[in-house]
Amino acid sequence: MHIDWAALGVVAVVSIATSVIFTILLATGIRLVSAAKIKSNEGGSGTATVSLGYVLLGIAGLLVLFGIYVIVPQFH
Amino acid sequence: MGTDVTELFVVITVIAVALIFDFTNGFHDSANAMAGPIATGALRPRTAVILAALLNLLGACLSTEVAKTISGGFFDDSLITAPIILAGLLGAIIWNLVTWLVGLPSSSSHALFGGLIGAVVVGAGITSVHGWVIVSKVLLPAIVAPLVAGIAAAWATRLAYRITRKTPSVHSNAGFKYGQAFTASMVALAHGTSDGQKTMGVITLVLITANLQASGTGPQMWVIIASGVAIGFGTYSGGWRIMRTMGKGIVEIETPQGAASGAATSATILASAHLGFGLSTTHVSTGSILGSGVGREGAEVRWSVARRMVFAWLLTLPGAGLVGGLAALLSDQGVPGVVALLVLLTAACLVIYFISRRHRITHANVTDSHEVLVLAAATPTTYADDPRLDTPKPKKAKRPKAKSAA
Repeated sequence: MHIDWAALGVVAVVSIATSVIFTILLATGIRLVSAAKIKSNEGGSGTATVSLGYVLLGIAGLLVLFGIYVIVPQFH
Repeated sequence: MGTDVTELFVVITVIAVALIFDFTNGFHDSANAMAGPIATGALRPRTAVILAALLNLLGACLSTEVAKTISGGFFDDSLITAPIILAGLLGAIIWNLVTWLVGLPSSSSHALFGGLIGAVVVGAGITSVHGWVIVSKVLLPAIVAPLVAGIAAAWATRLAYRITRKTPSVHSNAGFKYGQAFTASMVALAHGTSDGQKTMGVITLVLITANLQASGTGPQMWVIIASGVAIGFGTYSGGWRIMRTMGKGIVEIETPQGAASGAATSATILASAHLGFGLSTTHVSTGSILGSGVGREGAEVRWSVARRMVFAWLLTLPGAGLVGGLAALLSDQGVPGVVALLVLLTAACLVIYFISRRHRITHANVTDSHEVLVLAAATPTTYADDPRLDTPKPKKAKRPKAKSAA
């Protein structure tokens, strides 16, 4: 009986990288959208920031969709 | 003729007990997905378990490919008979109920394997069990899962706080709560696809061995639906005792931390399920919550709770194995033995249920405290937290009101 160290390594790297990337996207998206809201409340325009924020949140959403794609066996 | 009736009785019993196991599997693992969102308030307790239950049901119905073997490589497949399966299931159910009573998360798959191994040892001797497989499939993953998920969650938590340091918490909490709800839903769906299969596999195997189903065919529609419904009901019932330990007992979970640990849990579960190194959902989610506590500055991780959990994990295989082994002594004694087992199972369930009623934990009080009490003598402190549980006064006060209303 052998232990599949390679698979273990891949799982560890993918898990940690995905968690960190998802969290960075989510947190940065939240920060930008919030900053834009504050700016527009103060009378400025935060259009550029807000759209970048939503793009990041959208990518995070795509990651969730990819997760669902991975879970549902009918998709692959 | 007589043997046919006996066989049919055993088959029906195994199916019923498999569905009971499926139920305990659901309520034991409900916390894996939903403890975080409930603790941070991202989802209300009732909403969370209804969502998780539906996703588990959906997941169970989606999984087309049922595990072909239930031995998991721990022993030879030819050793699996209906009485062995029955004994193994009983061991797993009892272990799940006892760990639920003391509020400790433990892996349902390990409990099932433990029960089956115990039953096989009694039936065919210790030499029939492949010891190496226990190391590679139980011990090693039990160390790896919390480590990987913990590191992922700790980094993610640290980043989440650093990035949103200057963001007003009203905004950041709202955003992180959305993230948490989505990742928790993914965990629930993935749980349905993986754990629903276990029960379907058991039932299908029993039907095939009894020649009630053609060998090599997949689970029948009623088996899929029954398994999905059982795991869904189990999830809905919440397993609030475990929910409290995971959501409050290990560490107080703040919203950014909850989002980070949710991301770590779902990423690790999906990676392990699809990249060839199987990890237990329970160990992964517990590891994430621990890691998120380590990653947040100022968080106080209750290592004593973590230590107790590790003991429970180490004991899962031998504990369920012991019960499974004892049950195997009765389960191959024909109808009387099976009936005796059913009576014992019912008695054990009732005893555990009544002990749990002394300190009930429900959706209403799950986040009120971090302790799961079993015996009244333990510590009376949380008693005071929850006046509904001990004082007879409110009852007296309610009765006259109800009368006057009527």
